[in-house]
Amino acid sequence: MLLKNTYNEFIKILSKPRSYLGIGALTLLVGIIIFAMKADGRSIISFVTSSFEQTLTFNGDVLNGNLIAFIILQMLIVHIPLLVALVTGDLISGEAAMGTIRMLATKPISRTQIVLSKFIAGAMYTLFLTLWLGFFALFVSRQIFGTGDLIVLNSDGLVILQDADILWRFGLGFCVAFLALLTVSTLSIALSAFAENSIGPIVSTMAIIILFTIIGSLDVTVFDNIKPFLFTTHMASWRSFFEDPVPFSAIMKSIVILVVHNILLAAIAVYKFNKKDITS
Amino acid sequence: MKKFLTLLIIAIQFGVLAQDANDIISKVVTKLNTVNDYTVVANVKANIPMIKILPSKATIYFKQKDKFKVVSKGIVILPKQGFTEINGFLANKNSYLAVAGDSTKIGGVMTKLINVVPTGENSEIVLAKLWIDTKRSLIIKSQITTKTNGSVTTTYTYGDKAAFGLPSQLVFEIDVKAFKLPKSVAADINKTTAEKKTKPGKKGVITVTLTDYKVNTGLSDAIFSKKK
Repeated sequence: MLLKNTYNEFIKILSKPRSYLGIGALTLLVGIIIFAMKADGRSIISFVTSSFEQTLTFNGDVLNGNLIAFIILQMLIVHIPLLVALVTGDLISGEAAMGTIRMLATKPISRTQIVLSKFIAGAMYTLFLTLWLGFFALFVSRQIFGTGDLIVLNSDGLVILQDADILWRFGLGFCVAFLALLTVSTLSIALSAFAENSIGPIVSTMAIIILFTIIGSLDVTVFDNIKPFLFTTHMASWRSFFEDPVPFSAIMKSIVILVVHNILLAAIAVYKFNKKDITS
Repeated sequence: MKKFLTLLIIAIQFGVLAQDANDIISKVVTKLNTVNDYTVVANVKANIPMIKILPSKATIYFKQKDKFKVVSKGIVILPKQGFTEINGFLANKNSYLAVAGDSTKIGGVMTKLINVVPTGENSEIVLAKLWIDTKRSLIIKSQITTKTNGSVTTTYTYGDKAAFGLPSQLVFEIDVKAFKLPKSVAADINKTTAEKKTKPGKKGVITVTLTDYKVNTGLSDAIFSKKK
């Protein structure tokens, strides 16, 4: 029954125009970035390497598909949560607003299973969005710009990774990025269980992400104790796969925190939905 | 009279030193000029503060006077100066003044220090210190100071192409300035500055091992065009 309901939920997601809005926006944004890089990518690279170029020269194809894919990921991973929340934030509250949730609750399926099927459908949509981003960012960029060594720009220097040593990093990086986006999806669904309209959970999700990101980026000691427990702190941990050596223990810590967030938020949503008075 | 004699002796001495230095450089230049062009495989190992890179391979093309190109599949970091500048600078005898200095032993080889100062104001090179093996007319070590790029110290090791004045290994020591990329550009927003602090003004070392020289094969100018 859970699987059947999950299938139904996924069909519902596919039938909403806003689901394609995210995919369309993502495709357009990636296309614009690739165009901009093709047109003026070298000056962007020069801006980054200029600190060293007084004494050093960087030979070889610095502007290649791997670098473009990394830049795209870096730019869009900040904005994709909005595209995820736009769809997943509507999953419970949207039905409440339309009045279909009462009918859903009359089905021979427990309320817990209803919420879980929405989580699974939301996760599938998030996975599709991540794979779509991965395809465009990596495959299309590599086709247009070719492959080559990757220059990773950190705030304290450059790491240059060899071409043969990159794909597994992207693969694992996408997995962690998916987990981060899944946390956003779970958060918006959890908020959706509290709301009776679509806009509230979407805006609340984004507000939480913005608030936590600002707290995380402030170099103020008073926030130092809470920063490690904010999920936004770990949303960029996919980037750690592009460090040398890879800080696997830090990545594992981030994965654990993101998983705990997912479990807690899902539990809150299940509890709330089970206690909810469905009056619409 | 005494003062005049002292000055005369100093002037003669300086003239002798300059003459001696010019002869040494002239021999080095003559040797370098026997090479019209070359192709060589370079294995580059860069140990530069704030840059992490594995050893990489490149092919270097050179053609007189100053055509120089590096072709590599991956990213290769090389010093901005140190390969061809000194050849071009020394080739024009009228553009510099050479003065001999002390004799020093470097890596078991007795060398003579030659200080080369440009005579013109427009020269990019401010001072070139060359430690030359006078017996073989080979540059063993150089320290080139330029107006814009600071100083680069290069140590030369020679192999089977010593007859052409071509080294088998070059070790560059360069000054690296402090590097700090804005967080917004690096998108590394959750990393605080306390986590990793970089020490500015460190020395970077680039070791270039040169193998498979192909000398005077008549390289085409097309190789040095912008695109690969």
